Amino acid sequence: MFKKLIDNSAARSPWLFHINAGSCNGCDIELVALLTPRYDVERLGFKLAGTPRHADIVVVTGPVTAQSKDRVLRTIAQVPDPKVIVTLGSCPRSCNVFRGSYSVVGPLDKYVPIDVSIAGCTPKPEAIIDGLALATQILKEKRGAK
Amino acid sequence: MEFLIKIVYILIFPGLLFSSVFGLWLAGIDRKVVARMQRRVGPPVLQPTYDFFKLLGKETIVPSCAARHTFLIAPYVGLISLVVTALFIPIGGLQAFGGMADMVVVLYLITIPSLAMIFGGSASASPFAGVGVSRSMVAIMAYELPLILVLLSIGRAAGGTYVTFSLERVTLYQQMFGSFLFDWRLIPAALAMLLVIPCEVGAHPFDVGEAETEICEGPLVEYSGAPLAVFKLSHAIKMFIMTALFCALFLGGISTGMLWLDVVIALALCSVVTLICMTLLHAITARLKVEQVFKFFWTVVSGLALVSLILVWFVD
Amino acid sequence: MLPFIKEAVTGLFSKPSTEAYPFKPVEAPAGYRGRIVFHADQCISCGMCERVCAGGAITTHSEETEEGTLVTRRFFLGSCTFCGHCAAFCVKHAIELSQDYHMVARTEEELVVSGSYLKKKPAKKAEAACAAPEESTVKPREDGLPVNDTSKCVYCTLCAKKCPAGALTVDRKAKTWVLDEDKCIACGTCHDVCPKKAIIM
Repeated sequence: MFKKLIDNSAARSPWLFHINAGSCNGCDIELVALLTPRYDVERLGFKLAGTPRHADIVVVTGPVTAQSKDRVLRTIAQVPDPKVIVTLGSCPRSCNVFRGSYSVVGPLDKYVPIDVSIAGCTPKPEAIIDGLALATQILKEKRGAK
Repeated sequence: MEFLIKIVYILIFPGLLFSSVFGLWLAGIDRKVVARMQRRVGPPVLQPTYDFFKLLGKETIVPSCAARHTFLIAPYVGLISLVVTALFIPIGGLQAFGGMADMVVVLYLITIPSLAMIFGGSASASPFAGVGVSRSMVAIMAYELPLILVLLSIGRAAGGTYVTFSLERVTLYQQMFGSFLFDWRLIPAALAMLLVIPCEVGAHPFDVGEAETEICEGPLVEYSGAPLAVFKLSHAIKMFIMTALFCALFLGGISTGMLWLDVVIALALCSVVTLICMTLLHAITARLKVEQVFKFFWTVVSGLALVSLILVWFVD
Repeated sequence: MLPFIKEAVTGLFSKPSTEAYPFKPVEAPAGYRGRIVFHADQCISCGMCERVCAGGAITTHSEETEEGTLVTRRFFLGSCTFCGHCAAFCVKHAIELSQDYHMVARTEEELVVSGSYLKKKPAKKAEAACAAPEESTVKPREDGLPVNDTSKCVYCTLCAKKCPAGALTVDRKAKTWVLDEDKCIACGTCHDVCPKKAIIM
């Protein structure tokens, strides 16, 4: 019963941590737009955590630049299990228009497995809500598998 | 039998179980009402409870350079001291443990959770925690002076010719002569106390120590899993303790003759005080800087408390 | 301070301005550029979309089959900027950006939009034109010297010009081809240079 309680709570309180891996700031703004009164993801239990230690879902934006690669990987490693990695926008999935640049070493799935990718440049906030809902579902699956 | 009753006091009411549930409920309505004030839908009232149980199910990571035992024990020390504090505060005239100088005991005990957070933060060996710890210490120093002045003026008002430090006596006095909130000499002190509560709890706009957007929740930066859950629970219980203390000090005069009804009224008053001093302040203010907090508490808030003290001392 | 308190209290008692999104579907506004729709039957494989794509999201893969070439055009939405250039440059309007914004995927394959069409082989008539030339009837000489197949020779005099020993005499007007057997060294240069393959050795 206690385990079920924890499982249900986990689905209702996923905390986000947002990493900018060299993004153009477009996706970051759309992610923050989710916290505004219009979209208010807090009603679904989402909260933007200040530190990776508190997070359940890691949201990565940007095409992983050479400077940010180590920091991104270290930050992701600091998130306690179970965790879900979400890529927001096209950049972390494929480097998008930055592909081939001398300063870009992405895409992200060269280094860590991506659980959910939200396509769009930038995605509409509703699409991000969809993606985060899918991430929450995966979080629940991972907890069951553990 | 007496022993059993004490166990019930400690574990169920008003100890661990009740203060946890009620604290989480207070934290829930705080978040919900803040959201509504900002014209959002807001999380469900049970959100802090969900957060608490979720954190219990997460992995606990101890940083390699942290002092492991201090890091893991600190949250429980804070929680235990809060539960002990709950036993000393009269809720609607019901006080689990009393004594001659329980006001002083409470004054010390409510500092311990903050100290526990400071110890835990220092043990985590993170620079963010270091900044948060130093800021928390400034915040403690800031609110301690006005809190003592408020308690002194209450003690003098209740004691008559001498200063009493017994919360039981304060409650009895209010039941005989009416609540202190309606005593014009103590209104500045009540205002000062309303401003001390958010600072003690670490709520907006005085949350310098745990500023999540600036220093990643300060002392809590390295915590995860169950210890973090306990810290979040302590935070919720602290809201309950401080509002209950306000109700005991200023609104203790409500007596219907039935103990359970008194308790229910006191708890409702706790919620109202939370809404006024924490939720409303959270919705309409932004975070102050460290030195602004310190200056504000040692001038304005201490000034208010001092006015009350002088009035109580010299005006009959 | 007072106006803020007023704002907060009125906010508390007014309707929240939040969209009930996951519980109530929301349409994208007109002109929103979302998921790509590819009408493969209209494509003429000009390759313009591929050339203008900034993100390199469009790739083409062709496969030879019996009936012709099977061309598959693949749009990877994970690399797309949704700029709409491909749709704007497509002369046949085979590419369209729909208003569907639900582009959430667990695997890469879910983010791919693709379409294929068959490019048929040209007709048989053209094939006959380039059929292999027929075998010559003139037999080579046994001593290794060159012989001219007069049915093929056009008397261009190229063989005479290239001959290192000066053994050949060709007259364009009289249409004669004479070999001085004493001078010939049987090197084969005349055979190699003949454009009509008329010299046989």
